[in-house]
Amino acid sequence: MFYRLSGIKHVSYAADRQLWPVPFDRYLVIAAVILGITAPFYLSPLYLGSYMLPWIIWATAALSLNLLMGWAGQIHLGFAAVMAIGAYSAIHLARAGVPFELALLLAGLLSALIGMIFGAAALRVKGLYLAVSTLAMQYMIDWIISHVPAISGGSQATLQTPVIRILGFPVDSDAGRYWVALAVCALVTIFMLNVKRTSFGRALVAVREKDFAAAIIGVNPFYYKLVAFWVSSFLGGVSGAVLAFCYYRAVTPEQFHLDVSIQAVAMVIVGGMGSILGSFFGAALVLLAPIVLNNFVGWFVAAIGLSLSPEVLALIPLILYGGLIVGFLLFEPLGLAKIYDNIRNYFLVWPFRHARR
Amino acid sequence: MEAAATSLECQGVVRKFGGLVALKDVSLSIAPGQIYGLVGPNGSGKTTLVNAVTGFYPPQQGRILFEGRDITGRKPHTVAKLGIARTFQNLALFRGMSVLDNIMMGRHIHMRPRALSTLLYWWWAQRDEIREREVVEEVIDFLQLQDVRSEPIETVPLGLQKRIELARALVAQPRLLILDEPMAGMNQEEKEYMARFILDAREERGLTVLLIEHHMDVVAAICDQMTVLCYGEKIAEGRPADALADQKVIEAYLGSRNRHAA
Repeated sequence: MFYRLSGIKHVSYAADRQLWPVPFDRYLVIAAVILGITAPFYLSPLYLGSYMLPWIIWATAALSLNLLMGWAGQIHLGFAAVMAIGAYSAIHLARAGVPFELALLLAGLLSALIGMIFGAAALRVKGLYLAVSTLAMQYMIDWIISHVPAISGGSQATLQTPVIRILGFPVDSDAGRYWVALAVCALVTIFMLNVKRTSFGRALVAVREKDFAAAIIGVNPFYYKLVAFWVSSFLGGVSGAVLAFCYYRAVTPEQFHLDVSIQAVAMVIVGGMGSILGSFFGAALVLLAPIVLNNFVGWFVAAIGLSLSPEVLALIPLILYGGLIVGFLLFEPLGLAKIYDNIRNYFLVWPFRHARR
Repeated sequence: MEAAATSLECQGVVRKFGGLVALKDVSLSIAPGQIYGLVGPNGSGKTTLVNAVTGFYPPQQGRILFEGRDITGRKPHTVAKLGIARTFQNLALFRGMSVLDNIMMGRHIHMRPRALSTLLYWWWAQRDEIREREVVEEVIDFLQLQDVRSEPIETVPLGLQKRIELARALVAQPRLLILDEPMAGMNQEEKEYMARFILDAREERGLTVLLIEHHMDVVAAICDQMTVLCYGEKIAEGRPADALADQKVIEAYLGSRNRHAA
């Protein structure tokens, strides 16, 4: 009904490969982009700074991790460490007077380099073993950051980020920082959208699905896994730097511990492996669910007149949150994106249900 | 390019898995433009030989030459660039991709997959994609896959999946095509289609084909030469009519009369 398919006839290969062949999808994207850009004008600073901004940044990070997990099929339990490398190197570079844009790029390159060194070692093993190897990366980077004062400024220290300067202009407003994060997010999203339709993305999927079949076609499986690590770590480093500069505006080692890695993995899984929209959904759910659950549990306990100790109250949302993730893995392993896709597929041919495939 | 005297040549190939000798001193030679049959009972080492050629199980002894070049022990992902393509006995298509993307994947060695060109799709990767798409569409027309082009691969019936795998191998424009049981599980009509495609591919594209097949009617009908393997040993060789009439081949498939009597 909404997603009209009639009358869509491609006459060139370029048109056949466009991102959103269905007009309604295009309208939705345009609306989302407009809403995203104008958010500072209609959202209160509280909502912009504490909901919208982290959502955008975490969606960027989830997209980066999704390239590795969803496309190349390699799990990474040390993604927060990658982001930490990006954040710390960007801060030190910016403090040394390197322009912000360049610092962001160099931070990404450094994360990519270190991420790839670990990746090259970790990729010699598969599955569970890979997960544990990347976990080792998380612990090693954590340890190095907090024990080398030159990086962290001391184990309990907090490094303040300098003011962002884009092309020499200082960006020192909530809206400005939001737009910087949005721009990075847009670039990463565009990249990921194109991954779906180029030989690069296909090679990653091929390696994920059947590495021997990929090899016989001429794809070097190890090389592509490594490239996936490289690109994913690069983007992860950049999003870590953006997280530090635009959201926290300071870095401490605690911001990038293991729980943050798990959170990133949860975003990818809950949102949907290999789905771009899913990364946005996943980031939203993982960030918002604890808040919503907290409020809900508080309200519910008050409504039925129970008096629980604050410790118990604090734990219930976490339990529900864990249950939510287990539930997704059990009932919709392809995540929120799949749920959206099911709804879209339903309306694609509604009311002619027999035409559904 | 000057045509080599032989397309594929195996010289005394030996491959052992622990104590099991899967290939015992197997030699064969395929002339360019031939359709060469490789048959034998189950477990006779046909697929192992193909895996030795394509680098999955490099031979422990012996040499493998492709167009006169020694390719023994090459890594599988370097074999495609030489001009060898193969299909697998149990389909090896990529789930999660459309039929078109699966076939496009076959063009991999002719494309330049880069992360940066992906980011700058409209100015960079798109040109590559469209150019290669034209080659792919030619093969799609040739194998009559137009209808399923945009379907997800999982929803396509088995007979078509076999054909899609053939398409993926063909788009790489190989000079040697190795088909590992392309007709397994097919009905008579699908088999005839497939046989026709193999013959046409040879005629139109000047391919050399190494065909592993259990359907003797097909082998007898389309192969120029063939080799029969049994327990890793070559027991017969020659034109299909002669090779299949060989006493050892009949014994390998049907058992010997004496053994029954005993």
